[in-house]
Amino acid sequence: MPALAIRDLEVRFPGLERPALAIPRLDLASGERVVLTGPSGSGKTTLLNILTGLERTGAGSVVWHDVDVAQLSEGSRDKWRAANVGLVMQEFHLFPGLSAFENVLLPQRLAHFRLPTGTKDEAARLLARVGISNTKQSIETMSRGQMQRVAVARALVARPGIIVADEPTASLDQEAGAAVAELLVELTLEAHATLIVASHDARLIDRLGRVLRLDAGRLKG
Amino acid sequence: MFRFIAADLRRHWAGVLAITLIIALATALGVIVTLQERALRLGSARAADAFDLVIGAPGSETQLVLSSVFLQAAPLPLLPGTVLAGLVADPRVKWAAPVGFGDFIEGSPIVGTTQALIDGLSGLSEGASFARLGDAVVGANVAMRLGDEFHPQHGQAQDYGGVHKEITYHIVGRMSPTGTPWDRAVLVPIETVWQVHEHGAEAGHDMPVAVRSIVGAPEAEHHGPDLDAPIDPNAVSAADAPGLPAIVVKPRTIADAYKLRQAYRGDHSLAVFPGEVLTRLYGTLGDARFILSAVAMGAQALVGAAILLVVTVHIMQRRRQIGALRAFGAPRATIFAIVWTEAFAIIGAGLLAGFGIGYVAARALSGILTQASGVVLPVGFVPHDFILLAGLLAVSGAVASVPALLAYRQSPASALRA
Repeated sequence: MPALAIRDLEVRFPGLERPALAIPRLDLASGERVVLTGPSGSGKTTLLNILTGLERTGAGSVVWHDVDVAQLSEGSRDKWRAANVGLVMQEFHLFPGLSAFENVLLPQRLAHFRLPTGTKDEAARLLARVGISNTKQSIETMSRGQMQRVAVARALVARPGIIVADEPTASLDQEAGAAVAELLVELTLEAHATLIVASHDARLIDRLGRVLRLDAGRLKG
Repeated sequence: MFRFIAADLRRHWAGVLAITLIIALATALGVIVTLQERALRLGSARAADAFDLVIGAPGSETQLVLSSVFLQAAPLPLLPGTVLAGLVADPRVKWAAPVGFGDFIEGSPIVGTTQALIDGLSGLSEGASFARLGDAVVGANVAMRLGDEFHPQHGQAQDYGGVHKEITYHIVGRMSPTGTPWDRAVLVPIETVWQVHEHGAEAGHDMPVAVRSIVGAPEAEHHGPDLDAPIDPNAVSAADAPGLPAIVVKPRTIADAYKLRQAYRGDHSLAVFPGEVLTRLYGTLGDARFILSAVAMGAQALVGAAILLVVTVHIMQRRRQIGALRAFGAPRATIFAIVWTEAFAIIGAGLLAGFGIGYVAARALSGILTQASGVVLPVGFVPHDFILLAGLLAVSGAVASVPALLAYRQSPASALRA
């Protein structure tokens, strides 16, 4: 299981005097589950992008297990992310025209020449687990709560060691949000994955052990 | 990947269809110009195949060919009757036959000639050849049956100036198809044509340019010729044979053809190779094709540019989706492949459909032209067209890589933020 070690991370955007993100040190144990909070503009998304290798690090190192994501090329980061990170986003980014089942499989289909064996079974199992019974249903005909649950299944299908969720419940109503929060936590636990959720959702904050508070690019507490 | 592309194309089917159609129509435009020009060239060349050498009175070479090969009605000056006699006796000549225009029947030209031309053109598919002055042989596409009888009409049906009531032709045979305007002609013995218009000829004796070669002769009010009389094969070589607008000559050898042309090119007659005259016409046709092709290519280039713009805008609009694909682990090469495949599939389908539409349209156009002129216009692709298609596909491949590169270079994080 990868564990995270951030050292002297600093991200600057052109035209800004202060670094957008400055984290001298952050360690996460394997399987640890944390919530990232903070006002908008505090750098939550930037941090998540760097943790997932979506964005280039300015300075410092971001070591997952023994891979320094900051040192990887763009192509290698894509490859590393595909193998190690499951993403859940506020806007689900599911692909209309495809069924729930095909949506869960899509990243694997695109990342591999051939679907790894067992992926389909795993997709079916996860969809059942998140309560989607009609896996052939076209994604655009589903409710928002159902969509996010499909997205959760998609994040887990490749059995990644890291699950990163960005405001997974913010665009859902109370009930659907609760269900998604519940599933996210349970499934991560079942998979022994490390979970990082950017959220203001009290249910998530209560359920997860550790809260990282970002303010103007600095971690508080 | 292909599943995703298929789903994506299906989802935007209306736009995909519209763009494909626009590309197809732009391509078809160019294809039609190319195919139609080629069909005209091939069709007219084939129509002229049986006509190695045409001899007429001095005048327009082009008109001589158009009138004799394509049976286009026009007043031609007449050759003295003795020319044919000379040709028939000439050892360099395999056969020579007169082409005398005499009236019309239901839009079909009635052509006075001899047995030699019937044999030389295509032979008969049914019935027998004319044996009596009142017999007629119809072209393959004439809508009359064997045994039918008809009176020749002055001029074409739409503006005919009277009917030769005293003449009744009896159809005895039908020619095999030739794919030329002769398929719509009615062939009768030249002697009959002469006799029908004899009086006109006498009235306007020694006319320098005999308009009557068409049907301009005054109404023959006298007693008609004896149509039951057998054809006299020697009539055409008689010393006092009347004038003729054109003579079709089949030389024995190519050398003979050139010698004959040389011999009959002079102050009193004109000898042309229809093929040569057509080649000159093709030169003009080729210029027209060049202009049309340029216009079509311009249209295609504009369509190409417009579509590139549409695709690019579309890609920009889908930045988030592409960013998400990357975020979920799709390699950059895959993104490139997806966008490239989609763009190439649309352009390629458009090109192929365009070739298909162009072919069908050219066929239809040729059909209409054949109906109007009788010249069968063969529409077909030549290997060069497929090289061109391959070239166009290669260019499409290059063009498709523009939006693909755009998608490739996009940073997923900034795309998601947008």
